[in-house]
Amino acid sequence: MHYSPALSFSQPTSLPTTNYAFHSHVDLRFCGLRRQPSGFSFSTHSASTRVSLSTPARGHSNKISASSGNNGTPKSFDYDLIIIGAGVGGHGAALHAVEKGLKTAIIEGDVVGGTCVNRGCVPSKALLAVSGRMRELQNEHHMKALGLQVSAAGYDRQAVADHANNLASKIRSNLTNSMKALGVDILTGFGTIVGPQKVKYGKVGFTDTTVTAKDIIIATGSVPFVPKGIEVDGKTVITSDHALKLEFVPDWVAIVGSGYIGLEFSDVYTALGSEVTFIEALDQLMPGFDPEIGKLAQRVLINPRKIDYHTGVFATKITPARDGKPVIIELTDAKTKEHKDTLEVDAALIATGRAPFTNGLGLENINVATQRGFVPVDGRMRVIDANGNLVPHLYCIGDANGKMMLAHAASAQGISVVEQVTGRDHVLNHPSVPAACFTHPEISMVGLTEPQAREKAEKEGFEVSIAKTSFKANTKALAENEGEGLAKLIYNPDNGEILGVHIFGLHAADLIHEASNAMALGTRIQDIKFAVHAHPTLSEVLDELFKSAKVKAPASTSSPVSEPVSA
Amino acid sequence: MANALQTSFLPSTSSLRRTPILGSKGKSQALQVKAKIREIFMPALSSTMTEGKIVSWMKSEGDKLSKGDSVVVVESDKADMDVESFHEGFLAAIMVEEGGVAPVGSAIALLAETEDEIAEAKAKSQSSSSSGHKAVEEQPKQIEVAAPDVPAAAPVAAPPAVSASKYVALGSAVHPASEGGKRIVASPYAKKLAKELKVDLGTVVGTGPNGRIVAKDVEAAASVGTTDAAEGTVAASPAKPAPVAPGIELGKVVPFTTMQGAVSRNMVESLSVPTFRVGYTITTNALDALYKKIKSKGVTMTALLAKATALALAQHPVVNSSCRDGNSFTYNSSINIAVAVAIDGGLITPVLQDADKVDIYTLSRKWKELVDKARAKQLQHHEYSTGTFTLSNLGMFGVDRFDAILPPGTGAIMAVGASQPTVVACKDGRIGMENQMQVNVTADHRVIYGADLAAFLQTLAKIVEDPKDLTF
Repeated sequence: MHYSPALSFSQPTSLPTTNYAFHSHVDLRFCGLRRQPSGFSFSTHSASTRVSLSTPARGHSNKISASSGNNGTPKSFDYDLIIIGAGVGGHGAALHAVEKGLKTAIIEGDVVGGTCVNRGCVPSKALLAVSGRMRELQNEHHMKALGLQVSAAGYDRQAVADHANNLASKIRSNLTNSMKALGVDILTGFGTIVGPQKVKYGKVGFTDTTVTAKDIIIATGSVPFVPKGIEVDGKTVITSDHALKLEFVPDWVAIVGSGYIGLEFSDVYTALGSEVTFIEALDQLMPGFDPEIGKLAQRVLINPRKIDYHTGVFATKITPARDGKPVIIELTDAKTKEHKDTLEVDAALIATGRAPFTNGLGLENINVATQRGFVPVDGRMRVIDANGNLVPHLYCIGDANGKMMLAHAASAQGISVVEQVTGRDHVLNHPSVPAACFTHPEISMVGLTEPQAREKAEKEGFEVSIAKTSFKANTKALAENEGEGLAKLIYNPDNGEILGVHIFGLHAADLIHEASNAMALGTRIQDIKFAVHAHPTLSEVLDELFKSAKVKAPASTSSPVSEPVSA
Repeated sequence: MANALQTSFLPSTSSLRRTPILGSKGKSQALQVKAKIREIFMPALSSTMTEGKIVSWMKSEGDKLSKGDSVVVVESDKADMDVESFHEGFLAAIMVEEGGVAPVGSAIALLAETEDEIAEAKAKSQSSSSSGHKAVEEQPKQIEVAAPDVPAAAPVAAPPAVSASKYVALGSAVHPASEGGKRIVASPYAKKLAKELKVDLGTVVGTGPNGRIVAKDVEAAASVGTTDAAEGTVAASPAKPAPVAPGIELGKVVPFTTMQGAVSRNMVESLSVPTFRVGYTITTNALDALYKKIKSKGVTMTALLAKATALALAQHPVVNSSCRDGNSFTYNSSINIAVAVAIDGGLITPVLQDADKVDIYTLSRKWKELVDKARAKQLQHHEYSTGTFTLSNLGMFGVDRFDAILPPGTGAIMAVGASQPTVVACKDGRIGMENQMQVNVTADHRVIYGADLAAFLQTLAKIVEDPKDLTF
């Protein structure tokens, strides 16, 4: 540990952390990679701006115990980086860490791939692929319009379930192999932090192994959240974990929660012949979506299907089917708290969100208190302890920190952390992270919703404009006979900044990236509108969208797309 | 022939049906009501839009509207759009329900200026429906059978306004203990259907798990309701098996659906017309050859037959006439060939208008469009109700001859059998083989006599046997 003399250790230890939290990024260079993983040397900036890396108070004492002190002797750790949890976030971080030359280990107590691969995004996409096709085949009118004739479409539940399961296994082994091939050590067992830079892991009933690492990333993810009063039996009252196994297709299923998970399952279940009742605590279905998109989605995804709904109610008590009785759901008015109704259904799917999986992580050993289970972090995913100080060398990414509970956000956060520990400061631009809901048709979004944008504009004193294009005007969509859809752009008309983009329509989830990349790179509408799209493609929906925006600022002259390119 | 649509489509057609009548016959009545009650029209949202679908009503009956308020979401051929009110007032009556389709310019709701006029407007919307009932029977070009029954079916579920509010309550499932302390447990689709078919769930007996009301219970209840209204002319029915039942239960008494009830009434009504039949055998070798030649251009046999019939009718206007009152008859000004088509759960007669004037390619395209619409249950009223002569073809089943019942309000119907290779004695005395088809015309003898039909059939045979005129 050979820190240059003017470093944090000479700083007063009582400095409030807020001073550090707002320090501008500094250019840290990491040297002596493998051999001296903890050795830092600083460029010529003044020391005071750099303190952010090692927090004063705890950092000091911890370092003394964890290493041989700051007498300049390099301390060797077992690993440069240990990641607890091999989900999509951990995997993304591990791959990037190897690329950066870090000796990396990943601890997994269950199966590689985490929720996304085993019990989430991946198997649900398999089911949704089936439901999309079923929908198409069952839509005789649609088929006829294309000139196709199909006799009665049917499905084999077990085969559908196998498809989902096989997909999960395949992606899981891909993930495992990619890490093994790159030399990431996969350590099996539940990881617990026993002290600074020190983790033990092991299976239940076996002796634990303790390993040390210069940096640790917590990526333990989340589990389905089940509100109290709801008794999950895994058969008739289920969470997404069970539903993805598709052990049976109920005639009538109540879905508690109308967010992404609930919506996707309603798509699957109705395609397979179930009737669905949504139970939503808020006054509107699909509360997280832009209201206009939500309204349209309701017209297309809810109203014409065999779905009804109760809004503004809590499912306060759900009893699984037993003794010949169906599943019984007690509904309570969200405002008056009075009993409102009782439902009797064949199954209930609890899709009320996800709770962080952070129990048993040993956070108490390093004085970190979770907030509603989430590990508190700052904008750079650095863990904050109970006193509000940053815990050195400890990061938390993904669902466990609750910042943005999306698999790809976890992965992006992991990459951002690896960038930081390898010497390049990096802050993930969360507003540019897209999200998608894979219903038929799909919904996708990035950035702010219209009300959020208007609120921000009011506060910060700028104007907001809206541009919209319809899929009905897109050649490719019409060729597919899928003209139902809308793309919506929320932007600042003065400077052409994209504030948010929302798409509802065919392949919306694939279309959003043009907008999210533009947001991540800071591309303005007046520039991106000159980019060329192949014709006829669905991407022209966004092309139209950008072109229909009325931006006052002129296109920047240095924009790469406006420069002449020699052939 | 019964122009019957599936029951689920009836509510919207019935409300559609009112509008053209309001424009013509019902106008004087509408004016008598009060000028303060305004109609909200289906707007033209694009230059190519001819009709619009009501996606959703954003206001309910009784709601106050300010100028500029969004009232209804309409789906045009291009996009969904919110339609705003141009006037202040109260939304008194919704005439086209959500999911219904209305032509551009037709009334879809009534707007009352004051709250007091709501009831009046409601009455108006209902009287327009009952005047519609009368008008339908008097319309000169009606060959329609199902139509008169539709307004009659409406009263089953009480006045629309009342039932609407009732179902809203059910939809949100705020159904506290009622009906003798029993809660109503109905599946989401059953609730949707009940709303659509105007069935009171409280009266439905559930057969699903734990006595739950499921979709088929509602469908069964809806069909029971309509037969009651149709005053049970059950016996003389040529109706087909219940279309909505997923399976046929032998030994079970099945009540009529709305459509079956309508067919039944009209078939009985047809007995009051003295009909007779004349048959003819037509050689179709030339027609078959022509068909083979132009089939690739999208021409169908149905279009060819309709065209041939229309050309023959042009020379025999009396066969294209109709008698309604027994004292006079009308030489119809256009030749509109209605062709019976079996659709899921019934029968409908899309109409090829001016079949004598339209060229065969256009006619074929039109026919394809009509059939698609019929299957999708999207035929407009005028597209199945304006026939002046009906064709019924069972040839595709191998039926060689049959006779058809004359649809009330028309002069004649022709039953067409299969064209089959037949051994015949040729003119030169040899034995030969020719494709022959038997046709059999049923006609109203009050106006069309045997010689008329014979002459018509002779002309038709000539046209079919030398079909060059069919392609112009």
